[in-house]
Amino acid sequence: MRFLMTSMATDQAPDEKLFAEMAKFIDEMTAAGVLLATGGLERGGVRLTSSGDEITVTDGPFAEAKEAVAGFALIEVRSREEAIELGRRFRSIVGDGVSMIQQVFGP
Amino acid sequence: MSTAIHRTVDAVWRLESARLIAGLTRLVHDVGLAEEIAQDALVAALEQWPVAGVPDNPGAWLTTVARRRAVDHIRRSQLLERKQEELAREAEQQPEREPDDVLRLMFISCHPVLPTPARVALTLRLIAGLSAAEIGRAFLTTESKITARIADAKQTLADRRVPFELPAGAELADRLSSVLEVVYLVFNEGYSASAGDDLIRADLCLEALRLGRLLAELAPAEPEVHGLVALMEIQASRAAARTGPDGEPVPLPEQNRARWDQLLIRRGFTAMLRARDLGAPPGPYVVQAAIAVCHAQARTAQDTDWAQIASLYDVLVRLLPTPVVQLNRAVAIGMARGPQAGLDLVDSLTGDPALRDYHLLPAVRADLLARLDRPAQARREFERAAAAARNAAEREFLLRRAAALPEAPATGPTLGQSAREFLLRTDLDAQTIRSYAQTLRRLCLDLGDSLPLSALTPERVGGVFTASWGDAAARTWNRHRAAVRSFGTWAGLADPAARLDLRTPEPSPRPVLDLDPLWARDLPLREHTLWRLLHESGVSARTALALDVADLDLDDRRARVGGRWIGWRARTAALLPQLLAGRTRGPVFLADRRPGPARTPAAADRCPDTGRGRLSYERAEYLFKQATGHTLRDLKH
Repeated sequence: MRFLMTSMATDQAPDEKLFAEMAKFIDEMTAAGVLLATGGLERGGVRLTSSGDEITVTDGPFAEAKEAVAGFALIEVRSREEAIELGRRFRSIVGDGVSMIQQVFGP
Repeated sequence: MSTAIHRTVDAVWRLESARLIAGLTRLVHDVGLAEEIAQDALVAALEQWPVAGVPDNPGAWLTTVARRRAVDHIRRSQLLERKQEELAREAEQQPEREPDDVLRLMFISCHPVLPTPARVALTLRLIAGLSAAEIGRAFLTTESKITARIADAKQTLADRRVPFELPAGAELADRLSSVLEVVYLVFNEGYSASAGDDLIRADLCLEALRLGRLLAELAPAEPEVHGLVALMEIQASRAAARTGPDGEPVPLPEQNRARWDQLLIRRGFTAMLRARDLGAPPGPYVVQAAIAVCHAQARTAQDTDWAQIASLYDVLVRLLPTPVVQLNRAVAIGMARGPQAGLDLVDSLTGDPALRDYHLLPAVRADLLARLDRPAQARREFERAAAAARNAAEREFLLRRAAALPEAPATGPTLGQSAREFLLRTDLDAQTIRSYAQTLRRLCLDLGDSLPLSALTPERVGGVFTASWGDAAARTWNRHRAAVRSFGTWAGLADPAARLDLRTPEPSPRPVLDLDPLWARDLPLREHTLWRLLHESGVSARTALALDVADLDLDDRRARVGGRWIGWRARTAALLPQLLAGRTRGPVFLADRRPGPARTPAAADRCPDTGRGRLSYERAEYLFKQATGHTLRDLKH
């Protein structure tokens, strides 16, 4: 089962310790064959809205920072519980904030 | 207890069990014991986590609890007195992770002393953390069989004192190839599933991929590991495109490439680059992965670089000269160097008994014949392939391909028609017809129903006979030969069996010994034990008679003979203690009387307690012959 784990932006600036712990966590997930892809996303971005025949392009930033997705990890695990457990470990490293876990269907 | 916490514990176990068991094995030097201790820690988690909550670092929690139990065990153990204190001290230190522990554990679970099914079961259990029930479901067998298989494997590892270590040099490569074999076997079991619950079987692919990715991090300097990972990633990338809406197989050139998983393809390419960067001469997995890469790189089937693939197969066939690889090579060469070159190669394989019932052989031939503009022959080959295919969807597909080709222009009767007419004869009894039908069915299957009867040459018939009945008993061979001759005469052909020799039958086998009445008799204890032992262990009478009491391991129902173990089952096990009656030395089977002074046997052949000599082979044979009229050899079956 594949899950997309996304985390929302926070105001806290990451420190060196966090980087080291995250690198270790990512290494472990890669070694366990769980992590398929991971990446960070720019703040803001561009929003496309279609309404009838009209498509509107709006530049960011939008709304509050903590509602925007800041990074993602695509993982392949055996169960939803495993995904949640990995998400829990991720949250315990990065501190306060919000993550989403959604199963990916397809391709 | 809530199921939610149960499932969390289960998830943690899956993620942590390999590292946990590996670390414990380093301490207690016994995989079976290490797993038991790890399971104990899991039970503790199930008791405590619902109350205290899941700890922040569940892996470390399990490790600490398990190590404490390992220390208790070492302290209690009578066996490890010497290093006990030292080990206990080591175990109490803050758990430190040896990066290679899991790799060592993989080497143990894939150790060559274990039969392959045991390696697979043990690896899935110890490294992937699957339960016996899950392994049983995936391999379409029962949980109890898997449990027994795993228990046997652990016992063998303990008996053979397989060390927890990383082999060095050439042995490392050897042992690693055993690990790779197990991983690829698990992958293929899931990938080419033709039976069972598809979903569960697909899970096996995922387990194999995880094992492979894990191995790639543990042994990053081994190109074959990355080769296998690349091969599996790219094959897995096609999973969604390999079957059509009704479950029928879609061949590679016709797959919708948009449905290939680009993420997995890219991961496969990355693994391939890692393998290439190591710069060693490519092994079989790297070459197979390179072929997979060629297919994955082609945007359309027409863009496929067949010249490159054919030259890769030239390399592969030297590393891995199996009939299936040779057949695949024929396909590639047919694409790269023209259908005639491919056909020549396929034709050189048709006599291979390993490919006798392999439906892809005629299917490949059919394809090549169609491209050579020989549609009638191609059609016949597709029909043959369809008849040999086991999977209904595949059979349909082949029949559709056959139907798309024009039928041969009428050139007289075909083999199929004639065979059917021949079998409708009324002047033969039913048993002969049944026997003839068997022979003709095989001919039709191998040569095609629509082969013109005039093309049934002695060469063609000879080929079928060699491939199908080459190793058959003389009587079987002669029966089939008689059938073909009879058919040839009826059809007015020049003798189609002209190339087949009549075979001389071997002397008829000995009459079968009926054991149940024998065991029902009131037998003397010594004879009863010996006969049971011969029957249950399958060893020769001389081996059994040479046994000494000191060789026996009554608890484990086995004895060491020369360098190997022989074993027996319950009946012998029940009789042996009575026969020994407390003796601890000397021959197991004793003669009736003490030897006369003129024929004193060597000390080793005498019972030190009673002075009786070892039962001789001649005497044992005589007693059995008297009782049954058979020789002791007949007990082996």
